[in-house]
Amino acid sequence: MIRFDYQEPTTLKKAFSLLEKHGDDARVIAGGTSLLIMMRQRLLMPKVVISLTRIPKFDRITYKPNDGLRIGAGACHRDIELSPPVKKHYPLLHETFRKVAQPRIRNMGTIGGNLAAGDPLTDPGASLIALDAEVTLTSSKGQRTVRLDEFFVDYYQTALEAGELLTEIHVPPPERPGWSHIKFTPRSIEDFATVGVAITVKTSDGTCEDIRLGLNSVASTIVHAKKAEAVLRGKPITEAALREMAEVASTECEPTDDNRGSAEYKLDLIKVLVRRAAEEAVQRAS
Amino acid sequence: MKQTIRVTVNGRVYQEDVEPRILLAHFLRENIGLTGTHIGCVVGECGACSVLLDSKVVKSCLHFAVQADGREITTIEGLAKDGELNPVQEAFVKNYAFQCGYCTPGMVMTSYALLQTNPNPTEAEIRKALAGNLCMCTGYVQIVDAVKEAAKQQSTAKV
Repeated sequence: MIRFDYQEPTTLKKAFSLLEKHGDDARVIAGGTSLLIMMRQRLLMPKVVISLTRIPKFDRITYKPNDGLRIGAGACHRDIELSPPVKKHYPLLHETFRKVAQPRIRNMGTIGGNLAAGDPLTDPGASLIALDAEVTLTSSKGQRTVRLDEFFVDYYQTALEAGELLTEIHVPPPERPGWSHIKFTPRSIEDFATVGVAITVKTSDGTCEDIRLGLNSVASTIVHAKKAEAVLRGKPITEAALREMAEVASTECEPTDDNRGSAEYKLDLIKVLVRRAAEEAVQRAS
Repeated sequence: MKQTIRVTVNGRVYQEDVEPRILLAHFLRENIGLTGTHIGCVVGECGACSVLLDSKVVKSCLHFAVQADGREITTIEGLAKDGELNPVQEAFVKNYAFQCGYCTPGMVMTSYALLQTNPNPTEAEIRKALAGNLCMCTGYVQIVDAVKEAAKQQSTAKV
């Protein structure tokens, strides 16, 4: 392992001043499940590692009926999975987080670290997009809120600017009762998805009132499939419409060949899994 | 530069000076001599280094020792009490749940953590919990049998 200095600020303010002082030489760590591996592989070689785990309440999860869910960036995946309001009001999130890697990783890795890494293979982003989540980005100069689908910019690139930290994830009260999550893993259960699909839908008398569709492991970022949503929104839900939506979703994705499958295979898989997920979500909505 | 950390391992307090780059797994083995925690892949894939950190099972190769400052750790050496094996360890012995034994400490720690939160797991739940603990000898059937028996033993012991 490379040599570095380790700092544990006890307030966000101190974290920002460390970030300002060390600039590009510094990296923040929370759970460490991603950063540590990259440091071992010498992909990242920070001179200073700033831990955010001693900042009070950074892992807090709160829920208010009119405001929704607010998750501190330092909350680990396992705590979100087991949070009573998440189980009760956000079954899609509960289902998604219980599928992330396995408990040892979920006990360590944090949601802030997951999203800020900008890794397109991980599960939470797609489901959070399907629930209209937004993230709070904070710096010493102030705060801004960014929709999660606009936060993901490119492969391992996010909207985070120098000196900024992702501090909170806000998930508004769910407006669409139907949901589904499919994580397809051909090798073993704790692997990254070959294709991951998250969907929420609101129906009325067999018509789709509104829908959100997020996908992971299908492009250089986690994808919000807006064109596919538009195919179904406001239309009667028929088998043909669901097939067309899934077809369009596949055109919004650009998967690549890897050891989880070829790009061609993944495109076929998207068409099947989006349709299946939509069918299940519609069933749950009515 | 070395930093001083204070950790409680298996009930005993250790104060040590460590470089920030030392992994918790290496700290346990090399600084305080608890070599029961095994190191396999060192990138969080194999699970051999699983330990409990503040009662939660984690991979000690994905953690810097300095991050554990002030926290409590349980390793495989901490499971037996007064010379008596823990029921999970006992069940692993009885069911021949190891071949080369390299993955065993991680398997036992993960199984122990599972039974702490879910004392009566189904086979599917056991297999799910153990996903991420790799046995290169592929002796998974006996391991799952051992966890089932440990669960049974623990529930009868409580009655």
